[in-house]
Amino acid sequence: MTLVALDELAIQRAKTGDLAALENVYRAYEGTVYTIARRMCRTAEDAEDVLQETFLEVCNSIRRFRGTGHGSLTAWVKRIAASKALMRLRAEKYRETDDLTEDGPSAAKRDSDVALRLDLEEALSRLSDTSRAVVWLHDVEGYTHEEIAELMGKTVSFSKSQLSRAHARLRRMLGEEAQC
Amino acid sequence: MLRHCTMAELLDIRDGEGSTAARAHVDDCGACRTELDRLYQRVASLKALPSLRPPRERWSTVRERLVSQRRRRWNIGVAVAGVTAAAALVAVVGVGGVPQLSLTNDVAPSAITPVELESLRGQSRQLEGLLREVEQHGRVIDGLTASAIADLEDRIALIDAGIEHATVGNAPRNDLASLWQQRLALMDALVNVHVRQVAYEGF
Repeated sequence: MTLVALDELAIQRAKTGDLAALENVYRAYEGTVYTIARRMCRTAEDAEDVLQETFLEVCNSIRRFRGTGHGSLTAWVKRIAASKALMRLRAEKYRETDDLTEDGPSAAKRDSDVALRLDLEEALSRLSDTSRAVVWLHDVEGYTHEEIAELMGKTVSFSKSQLSRAHARLRRMLGEEAQC
Repeated sequence: MLRHCTMAELLDIRDGEGSTAARAHVDDCGACRTELDRLYQRVASLKALPSLRPPRERWSTVRERLVSQRRRRWNIGVAVAGVTAAAALVAVVGVGGVPQLSLTNDVAPSAITPVELESLRGQSRQLEGLLREVEQHGRVIDGLTASAIADLEDRIALIDAGIEHATVGNAPRNDLASLWQQRLALMDALVNVHVRQVAYEGF
């Protein structure tokens, strides 16, 4: 992966709206943003749209970015990416209807995955959109349940129960027999 | 605890929030300890998944849309400045033609003084400062709030373009004041959105 290092000067230049500087921001973060988008969204096309929407927002709002340094810019860009990915999921009405319950027909279909030894990426992709997003944001990106609840417009307990169901399902799909 | 831990309880333990009873049970129960270890391993594997690269070059599309947005805002800014200047001209003609240059020293009752205009700018700066304070927490915001904020910021950008044009084009002070007043109203709304967000978090 080609990473473009961004120093304080490069960030300041991007804040002025300079297109070459904004392209450097894009080059530095396109992999990070696409990874979040692809892990959260169901299709590569959706992830590409999220990538594009994220960078339009980044380029339009960077002059108002108050942080300093590469680290805080990374967190800011990631937050925009997560928000755009969730907006995409919300726009699609979560596509699945069993996000709030595991008792629907899709859940039964997924239960046929029991004892299948899928690889982790495949198993992740088989989770419901909401569960997948919660797992990624909490376990990989380090968001708290409070932050996820706020991003999703849901409650903390909703986020926690989605995470719990997701892990139970991942365990089954990965062929890990429950010990308890 | 007489039963095995649920996934939710194991996740709570992993996140440092587990109950004393659940933690004590895991200490004594080999099966639950194994399950907790698997949970740690699964999360480690998730974190170790490779980074991905977009399959297609997207910067050119982003760039095109940025340039197009800027052009549109610029055109609207020109239009806003043009409309305000035209409105001022109509107002002047409507009240009796082009005024004589301060020979009579009469000023329209609603005329904005430089001091008043500067006061509007000052209020705007104050709101900018307030906005910086409420923004600096770097909080996560929900999609609807983000959308409302983006909309207000876009409208402020539009007004800024109008102010710039009006300033460069030496537009009448009243027109400039009108633009600054619109900016103040939008800034006020933007600060309110952020403050409500903070209040919600506090709640």
